[in-house]
Amino acid sequence: MSVLRGKQRHNPWQYTFFILGILFFFLILFNLPRLSIPLMVSYVLYLVFLPLVPKLQRIGVPTLLSRMLIVLTLLFALIYPIIKLVPFVKNESSKMQNYLPKAEVYIKKYYFEAKSFISKKYNYEVDDQILLDGLMVMKDFSQEFLLSLPSYFGNFLEWIFLVPIFLFFLFQDGRRFKRIVLKMVPNPIFERVYYLSTQFNKKIGDYIFAKVVEATILGVIIGVGLAIVDLRFSLLLGVIAGLTNIIPYVGPVAGMLPGLIVALVEFGPSANFYAVVLIYMIANAIDIALIFPILVSKIVDLHPVLVILSVILGSQLMGVAGMVISIPIAASVKLIIEEIYLEFYQRG
Amino acid sequence: MSSGNKEGKKVEIPAIKYFWSSSSLVGKKTKNIPKFLREIDIFSNLTGNELRILSKFLHIRDFSNEELIINKGDKGIGFYLIYSGQVKVFDELGENSYSYLEEGEYFGELALLQDVSIRNANIVAISKVKLLGILKPDLEDLIDSHPKVSAKLIQSLSLIVSNRFNSAIDEIVSLRKRLKDESEQ
Repeated sequence: MSVLRGKQRHNPWQYTFFILGILFFFLILFNLPRLSIPLMVSYVLYLVFLPLVPKLQRIGVPTLLSRMLIVLTLLFALIYPIIKLVPFVKNESSKMQNYLPKAEVYIKKYYFEAKSFISKKYNYEVDDQILLDGLMVMKDFSQEFLLSLPSYFGNFLEWIFLVPIFLFFLFQDGRRFKRIVLKMVPNPIFERVYYLSTQFNKKIGDYIFAKVVEATILGVIIGVGLAIVDLRFSLLLGVIAGLTNIIPYVGPVAGMLPGLIVALVEFGPSANFYAVVLIYMIANAIDIALIFPILVSKIVDLHPVLVILSVILGSQLMGVAGMVISIPIAASVKLIIEEIYLEFYQRG
Repeated sequence: MSSGNKEGKKVEIPAIKYFWSSSSLVGKKTKNIPKFLREIDIFSNLTGNELRILSKFLHIRDFSNEELIINKGDKGIGFYLIYSGQVKVFDELGENSYSYLEEGEYFGELALLQDVSIRNANIVAISKVKLLGILKPDLEDLIDSHPKVSAKLIQSLSLIVSNRFNSAIDEIVSLRKRLKDESEQ
């Protein structure tokens, strides 16, 4: 028998089928957002909650029951705020709507004071167009937000029922589905693709879990802090600060702005206003110095410039959702590039 | 009566399917993964139900004749059982240094145990081959979800490694003896 050397290492048909499969998947992902967004959300939740199933099993909860328990808890966590928080948010939002003209008057008042100060001190006339443009943008944004609120709410209601259903089926058949997908992977790259896909899943799951914990801690600190200085909407502002914190870089600033506007309208430039500024600064300092390094940065291990670039690219491609998932995806891409580098340059 | 009902509820349909499919009463011509695993000596310490759990973590890979399965020097993360077909293991040292593995035999066990495992031989299919593979991430999943099954699997892997280690020592001893004999002559 002749010595075989493995002539058929790469089968071009296998690679073609595999690449076409990936392209088809991404085509669906980008063109059917109504389906792909709840699917992606459920997949991320599946990655976050998957490690919980064996932990529940260890304390004696059967597999099916532990999966149902997670799904039902999630369903409750999604429905309960709607029942309890919607009237509250509606009330707060309508109050906020009454506040907006008041805020406009305040902003105009301080702007003209600052303008006359500059004019007297430096003999320079500031153009009013800046103020008018700023106020117009603020009005347009709030109007657009309020008009599109019913459609957001409709999508959210759809997701509330779709996400837990998808999540349950991912728990039940995720492993089988993964095996079917992996069957498409050509043999020579099977192990590498499998290793990278598990690392990718782990990074996304761990990152989202860490960000949710981080956002909760930050939201609680800000909510409690604002309640102590007796600022109106302290709970809502805490929730906003927590939610926006999930978005890297832009999030903390975006979460701070409504709080500062409310504080300015409520207290004017007094000691209480500076206390609110201090609360936001302390909360963000705790986040930057303690929570982020302990919880999040170990997971991603990326250069800050790469983080900024990935967030910009994520926002360009998929908006806010893209900004949230851009960092773990960038970390995974880094992992893939490292693997390719090792394959081509350091083998042997 | 009530306890009987409680016990009855614990019986899982997949478990019944497994025991039916792996039973000796089922026709010998039919071949399936649970039945195959039951016949492999290294898994003799695993119970029927544990083998059923293990079979859920296995990947089936098909290789055509002459297809390279493992390339020497590549990083590896998988342990494979030959489900059907025959493979040839060879080094680059020369045409004589090769061996054959067939159905029921296995390779790549170090990949599951080492942190970074580099494949130390080439393996090529010499017929149509079907492999059952378990990879490192699967073992990590198994450790989390079924610690007892994973402990028994690691025990089996240790047994394979110790057997290979013993045969390597035997070979070294015989080579040393041959060298000594040749130098004395």
